[in-house]
Amino acid sequence: MSHIVLDEAKCKACYLCINECPKKLLRVGSKTNNLGDHLVEFYDPNHECIGCAMCATRCPDLAITEVYRG
Amino acid sequence: MAALTQIFKIPDSIKKGAKYSFCPGCDHGVAVRLVGEALDELGLRENTIAVASIGCSVTIYDFLDVDSLEAPHGRALAEATGIKRARPDKFVFTYQGDGDFASIGMAESMHTALRGEKVTAICINNTTYGMTGGQLGPTTLLGQVTTTSPTGRNVEYYGYPIKIAEHIALCDGTAYSARVSLDSVANIRKAKQVIKKAFEIQLHGLGFSFVEILSTCPTNWKMTPQQAHDRVRNQMMEVFKPGVYKDITADRN
Repeated sequence: MSHIVLDEAKCKACYLCINECPKKLLRVGSKTNNLGDHLVEFYDPNHECIGCAMCATRCPDLAITEVYRG
Repeated sequence: MAALTQIFKIPDSIKKGAKYSFCPGCDHGVAVRLVGEALDELGLRENTIAVASIGCSVTIYDFLDVDSLEAPHGRALAEATGIKRARPDKFVFTYQGDGDFASIGMAESMHTALRGEKVTAICINNTTYGMTGGQLGPTTLLGQVTTTSPTGRNVEYYGYPIKIAEHIALCDGTAYSARVSLDSVANIRKAKQVIKKAFEIQLHGLGFSFVEILSTCPTNWKMTPQQAHDRVRNQMMEVFKPGVYKDITADRN
């Protein structure tokens, strides 16, 4: 199934990806980085991800490292 | 289970495990990635010499896995000229900010375009001096508040912002001049095609190629990354209109 790989060590919590996802599968998570900002998490319980890579294209910090479609 | 196809990966031209030092939401990260993707697709990684400038753009040599040189402030294109003339077989490009390209390095930039040096320049336009704390730059919009124009840029005192892509297009040595924006995914994908085209112009030895990229500076604009992209869309793109201003290959077809 389509999915993305998110590298939490690189996420700077700019939240630009959240608005890009057409299925709204990205959300502000409970984990925080060293500065206390809440990191983005990929939440896809119903396998809705279509592998469009819009989040990865938008991410300015290479935090979404891989996108698979299938 | 259906086979998975990988449709996005970090370009090979970006160093393994590279972690950007840019502020959250800064479009420099997207621009560096697009350059990396273009280098990958054209197979230029082993044959490239990049010239970094002064400003936030200086950090490109920390992230791109290509040979790089660092130029004094504004002199990136002068250095690129020297490299290209000494080693014409190499692919040479500069990565500069608007303050470096159009203010301090205006003479070097214009004359490189006028001489038609076969190099590529990429200029990030964020309407301010980002690294030094948000001073008024050559591309600061009218009315924009910066640390050195606390009441907003006014024409009487500061004059007008420069439209770099249009000016470079007027130079006879220029083969390609375009302006792109990174405000939306659609525009990011267009930007990649334009960067690739500019690189191809150099590979064919047609002359100077130039890409101006409209970018954000959320820290110095004192905005959230989302608001900063709205500003690019609503204010910057009204003044700095994206488009291809010169393309000598277009007439031949």
